[in-house]
Amino acid sequence: MSDLQKADAAQSKNPGMLKAVLRNPLMGVLAVLIVIFVASSILSPYFLTPYNMSVVGRGLAFVALVTIGQASLMLLGELDLSLGTIGGLCGIVTGMLMVNAGMNPWLSCLLALCLGAALGFINGFLTTALRLHSLVLTIGTAGIYGGAILVLTRGVAITGIPPEIQFLGRGTVWGIPMPFVIMLVMLLCAVFLTLKTPFGRYMYAIGNNRDAARMLGIRVDRIRVLVFVLAGALSALAGVLLVARLGTAQPSIGNSWVLGPIAAAVIGGVATTGGVGTILGAICGAAIIGIIENIIVLFGVSPYWQGIVSGAIVVIAISFDAISRRWLRKES
Amino acid sequence: MSKFTLTLAALACSVTAFAAVAQDAPGTKTADSYRFVIVPKVVHPWFDKVNDGAQMAAVAIKAQTGSDVEIVYSAPQSADVVQQNQILESSIATRPDGIAVDLLDPAGNRASLEDAKSQGIPLTLFDSVPPEGMAIPYIGSDFCEQAKIASRRLVELLDGKGKVAIMMGVPTAPNHSIRAECHREVFAEYPGIEVVAEGIDNDDIQVAQQQAAAIMQANPELDGWVASDAAGPVGIGQAIVEAGKQGEVILVGLDNLNEMIDLIRDGVADSSSASRPELQGYWSVMLLWQQATGAPVPSFIDTGNAFLTKDNLGL
Repeated sequence: MSDLQKADAAQSKNPGMLKAVLRNPLMGVLAVLIVIFVASSILSPYFLTPYNMSVVGRGLAFVALVTIGQASLMLLGELDLSLGTIGGLCGIVTGMLMVNAGMNPWLSCLLALCLGAALGFINGFLTTALRLHSLVLTIGTAGIYGGAILVLTRGVAITGIPPEIQFLGRGTVWGIPMPFVIMLVMLLCAVFLTLKTPFGRYMYAIGNNRDAARMLGIRVDRIRVLVFVLAGALSALAGVLLVARLGTAQPSIGNSWVLGPIAAAVIGGVATTGGVGTILGAICGAAIIGIIENIIVLFGVSPYWQGIVSGAIVVIAISFDAISRRWLRKES
Repeated sequence: MSKFTLTLAALACSVTAFAAVAQDAPGTKTADSYRFVIVPKVVHPWFDKVNDGAQMAAVAIKAQTGSDVEIVYSAPQSADVVQQNQILESSIATRPDGIAVDLLDPAGNRASLEDAKSQGIPLTLFDSVPPEGMAIPYIGSDFCEQAKIASRRLVELLDGKGKVAIMMGVPTAPNHSIRAECHREVFAEYPGIEVVAEGIDNDDIQVAQQQAAAIMQANPELDGWVASDAAGPVGIGQAIVEAGKQGEVILVGLDNLNEMIDLIRDGVADSSSASRPELQGYWSVMLLWQQATGAPVPSFIDTGNAFLTKDNLGL
């Protein structure tokens, strides 16, 4: 019996399993990611080189950490536009603690993560206590946190980051960039939390219908605040890792982490209205964006055309995803 | 062996030795084609002029040597060091014959530059200085001197007395912050000059216009403006025209964008202290090409600043 026949036989024995896999909303975005990855490998001789893979992986790691936080909030139906400035402010603070105050670098990093969690708590507390829409509130807090960066630095980067923590941003583990390894660990934790724990189920329940979740006895506001705290801490981690990568604390850290993670989550199938999508899908979305940004440079696309090219690829990708989902729904 | 045979043998030896030396001599490596990557700070008209200069150099090399030179211009969409490093590292992956970069932050770009160096890719910096301890040839002009030329001109036009304002550009960009600081230093030398306001335009003409309009409303006695970036004076000029303060508020601009030249021609701006982006692009490519041929190159080329007025522009 050939391999093909064996596969057919296995499929006929268990037809539900394949359909279930195909019906998984993650499959669409994963297929798009694989197509883009394979096409890039074929079209550019430079794409699959170990150096370029480490460039893509490292670049993806920082934005993916913020995407995990943002996607978790989006599952609740929330949006935090201050995550970028939280990452930037925590990066600056960790730099100031290490360089200006001479504090132990590891303790500085830890305090920066705590600061990120605290800033996330402020966002969550104000959103729940004042019954404000998180999108509107975090426009304001993003301004405050971003302003604090300028007040603290006057626009000047903090240099002289101790070499012992630069391993976090520049080092590798078996050739894999350290930030990517850390991001993978955080991703696994987030996937486990959202899909395998009651906390995760409550998140989906709140995102689907907040009032119904409250009636079921779920402590809605507590969970919302906790997710804001986690998102803040993850952004702070991204900021700290980037400081370790650059060897300086840049006031511009986090500027590109505002819309990118939201776009990544949406491409990955996370609904802005809450309750739909997965963290893994959001990271696939981030990877799609990361690869597109990379291949645009590898192909030498003019900077004036880059927006059009990357936008068009994203539109094609999400259209393909939407069409495949509709087809699967029809099939089922 | 006859004398003639001996002379011939000696001649042959010396020709062979000379040929061997010539083959190994610096700057003698040749190639049919070169591919150089230009990575500016951000998509901006000032860097388009750098690219124009780079293209001119490519044409010149082709004309002189017959080698094809491809210039790949790859600019970040925003002035973000992380984005610039991504572009830099993706460019390194394509194994070009050289990369010219305008560093957003020398320390922040260091790891990417080290990657390029470790892979033997020639580097040149323009409009910026190398990170501490890294030997990379660089091209540029003195930002501080450029700013001081403008602020001294304003002081001269105001006879050392008056209220002035500074547009700061992007506060996180080192060249903008250096220029703003040097403006302040010059004004501090004159007790009759008072800096009444400072604006941030983030190198955006529209933001500069809004900031300048607001500052002029809040300070109706304002006498003059200087800027720290190329977009700033263009926005300030537009705000002066809209407020009907042409001739009342003096503007000494910065750089040589087409809009800046128009403002000088229309009498809205008195003059401009300009760096020379085309020259920086031209010599960036020339330095990369020289490095690719194995020639030794100077550690710094100063392209200088030009002081542009209606007279010397022939307007």
